[in-house]
Amino acid sequence: MIALIRLAVFGFIGLSVLYLLLSVYSRSVRRETLEKTWDADHAEGGDPAARDAYIEAGMQEYQKGLRRKLIWLVYVIPMIVIAVTVYLVNYQ
Amino acid sequence: MSGYVYWGIVLLVIVAAVVAVRIWLPEGSAGRRRLKWAIWALVILVVGGFLHYTLPQHDIVRVVNTYQERQDLDDWTRIFWASPDDQSTGLINRDVQFLQTVKANGKPMVYRNEDTGWSWPPYFKFDTANLQTEAEDLKSTAADPQWVSVTHYGWRIVYFSAFPNAVAIKPVAGPDVTIIPWVNIVILTALAVLLLLFRRMWLQFRERSVDPVLEDIGGVWDDVDERADQAADKARGLWGRIGGWFGTWKGKPRR
Repeated sequence: MIALIRLAVFGFIGLSVLYLLLSVYSRSVRRETLEKTWDADHAEGGDPAARDAYIEAGMQEYQKGLRRKLIWLVYVIPMIVIAVTVYLVNYQ
Repeated sequence: MSGYVYWGIVLLVIVAAVVAVRIWLPEGSAGRRRLKWAIWALVILVVGGFLHYTLPQHDIVRVVNTYQERQDLDDWTRIFWASPDDQSTGLINRDVQFLQTVKANGKPMVYRNEDTGWSWPPYFKFDTANLQTEAEDLKSTAADPQWVSVTHYGWRIVYFSAFPNAVAIKPVAGPDVTIIPWVNIVILTALAVLLLLFRRMWLQFRERSVDPVLEDIGGVWDDVDERADQAADKARGLWGRIGGWFGTWKGKPRR
């Protein structure tokens, strides 16, 4: 029982670290894409305020988007893998 | 000796080694290069060994007998035994089940049969008694062999009385059947993807969060003194140069 609790606690900590890293990375990549899109459309750089507004709007879109929700798979996939392993090892 | 003394000695040895390297093998010397290779070789050896010990493998064998034997577990060879339940970490001896088998080439192979429970390695094996029964059921003689594939992890080290842990057993047609290691393919691919992902994440972090700061510092140096700029460049090292290369095709810096 203690081993199961230990696995749950350390697993949760480890996956949470991975979740945080992935969400920061994903946000960073999206912001970079938005910046590059703007810069490609505005060769002269355009209005800095409009550029910031464009990027902020894009980031708000990201907050509501599917990709951000997909990062929850970081928790889901290991759970499924463990459940499948328990089944295959013990009941097959 | 207590554990703290051991770890204190280990720490002292590491510090002494680092100091010795700094004194006798200066930056850029041939010795330093050789040492770097040696450390990489050691890392690959340790990681490769760890994976080879932990990942599942298949042996085609013939079960000849099973037995159960009291094992003493109170020295360092404890690392070669599993921890089936919570009390087992405190026990200094307990009974362990074994499978005696013979390979196609006639050499003997003995497996232990232990639960891994919820602890390392993550096989989540709880069906030791069932596996023992299946093995018992598949016993055969050399005259009328029943070949089986034993999935296992671990190493047989005769000198340390270490045994691989059997995880599954299933009958196969003959001693020459090919078994595709799907589990290993999936796990190693996933590990490679994770490694590349971490590398990509690190590069993104350098490009977006560290290099802009270093560029600012570099800019100030520029205005002050050429030589100082070169020093800063040198300090940035490999990662700075990679970041600089990324910078050549990145857009206008964010304000």
